[in-house]
Amino acid sequence: MNPDDIKYHRDHSWVRIEGKRATIGISDFAQEQLGDIVYVDLPEVDTEVDADSELSEIESTKATSPVVSPITGTVVEVNEDLADSPEIINEDPYGNGWLVVVEMSDPTEVGDLMNKSEYEKFLKEEEEK
Amino acid sequence: MELFLEKKESVNSPFSISACMREGSMTVKLTIIGAGPGGYVAAIRAAQKGAQVTVVEGAEVGGTCLNWGCIPTKTLIASAEALERTRRAGEYGVEVSGTIGFNLSRILERKDKIVSTQIKGIRGLLKSRGVTLMEGRGSLVSNAVVRVEKKDGSIIDVRSDKIIIATGSRPAKLAGFPFDGERVMTSDDAVQLKRIPKSILIVGAGVIGSEFAFIYRAFGAEVTLAELMPHALSTEDEELSGIIEREFKKAKIKLITNVKVVSVTKGPDNMMTALLSDGREVRTEAILVSIGRSMNSEDIGLEAIGVNKGSRGEITVNGRMETNVAGIYAIGDVTGNAMLAHVASHQGLVAAENALGNDAVMDYAVVPAGIFTMPEIGSVGMREQQVREKGIAYRVGRFPFRGLGKAHAMGEITGLAKIIADADTDKILGVHLCGAHAADLIHEGALAMQMGATSEQLGQMIHAHPTLAEAVMEAAEDVHGMAIHTIKPGNLPAAGPGSEGLDAKPGGD
Repeated sequence: MNPDDIKYHRDHSWVRIEGKRATIGISDFAQEQLGDIVYVDLPEVDTEVDADSELSEIESTKATSPVVSPITGTVVEVNEDLADSPEIINEDPYGNGWLVVVEMSDPTEVGDLMNKSEYEKFLKEEEEK
Repeated sequence: MELFLEKKESVNSPFSISACMREGSMTVKLTIIGAGPGGYVAAIRAAQKGAQVTVVEGAEVGGTCLNWGCIPTKTLIASAEALERTRRAGEYGVEVSGTIGFNLSRILERKDKIVSTQIKGIRGLLKSRGVTLMEGRGSLVSNAVVRVEKKDGSIIDVRSDKIIIATGSRPAKLAGFPFDGERVMTSDDAVQLKRIPKSILIVGAGVIGSEFAFIYRAFGAEVTLAELMPHALSTEDEELSGIIEREFKKAKIKLITNVKVVSVTKGPDNMMTALLSDGREVRTEAILVSIGRSMNSEDIGLEAIGVNKGSRGEITVNGRMETNVAGIYAIGDVTGNAMLAHVASHQGLVAAENALGNDAVMDYAVVPAGIFTMPEIGSVGMREQQVREKGIAYRVGRFPFRGLGKAHAMGEITGLAKIIADADTDKILGVHLCGAHAADLIHEGALAMQMGATSEQLGQMIHAHPTLAEAVMEAAEDVHGMAIHTIKPGNLPAAGPGSEGLDAKPGGD
């Protein structure tokens, strides 16, 4: 079910690029591991985020887990629906469960990320560990 | 006989040594100024040990704690929690019909009733011990005479062998703020909660500001907190500050850090505009200033007698609660130490012993404290940032409350148990809890520290299931990576610093 048109970060976040705009979310694997999500702590618009550092924190009934940003840039849009209905992330992690839209400062960073088959291979390897 | 030799008579004293000798007793006449948690506890201990005690109180027994602080805020929090629980009734399968609301005057009536019951209780305790309670404003004439100015204007001088000053503190005010007790308030006004404003700006996100933020929010106000430091609750462990900051966000309480409130201007439309030091403006209906407390050490005769004060106005005392003047002790908030009722009470016990010629020293090594935010905080010992600054090698064990069956059953899964232990000796350096009942649960940690226990010893004690206390046990085991109920690190997405395992950090990082 992992879409083809996005790139994946090893900490289970994903990014969909449209020009300079990058929509970020967490993968299906991540939402499943987390379980029922009860709260998402999202950054404000205009916040600067860095690749490989914490962008958000997600609270589920099982755990509290940071979301790592796959790319560097400035937050331009935040998914307001998640405030009242954080469970959308569980239901539709790649669509309506998007977290933020970031304007990228370095589009070449995307090259460091994995595509769908690389990510699925990565998940298999993690499982076998 | 040595009591009489120690006593220095001032020339104005109408009483002489011979008067004492005629009374023919070794009974120490102890006068205590202030009947708050410091003063009344000192009074009872001294009376228990045979002293003749007089307590002078200018307002009401119980002091700030009972009348303006600890107790009133806890009753407000109980009402706020009842409201929240009722709003969440559906989660528990409970059906409520009609509108869920609250009656402010009923809430205040309840607070007043509870406080007055406690007042009667304290007066009863003092009376049962034969302590004389004088109602009036107390001040020092000398180290042997306390002057009491009664409300009717009359003045009584009380001869004293020993004096304990327990005059406490009051909310600090910011100069230039238009305080009116209604729209620009201190915590003394806020506990009277005459009305809930549509919006409130709370200046100072320390303990008092943070507690009131949750209270006002629960009762429907839009709350903004302005804090000078980079974090709310900056005297707590940084991780706990982080949890409460997230809870602010969840409750839609806006927190602005690293700012001062520069000025407040009243507008025409019942609103005020507060100008912050970062240039931002906050439009608000009400303002609560909770930036700390000032010591009540002025106009009580200290300067003429030469009792030393520090730069904040605090009466300086040694570990025996002695001031620099023989026979005069000081305890509680007025000494500017940890502004906690239980610290004042313990200082009162120490001062009472010493005033009676015994030998007691105050020990601040284990001082637990509770903060009644939503969720609660309970903490004792060193904060992680303090351990780091001191360069002590340490390990941390953590356990989230959501790992507990009890927390889920209760529907209160937010929280964390955190234990800091010395990396070499494994002795517990600090315990920090956030979550339901944290302020009660912390006492296990306090006892462990008092007894010099290691995290291993704490983890080995059987803890009843299902209880919240199990979080403390698991956190203790987690110090050595041996907690049973945590997922092995690496199996959760980006399992970050909040996860389990060793955190050995040698000094100097």
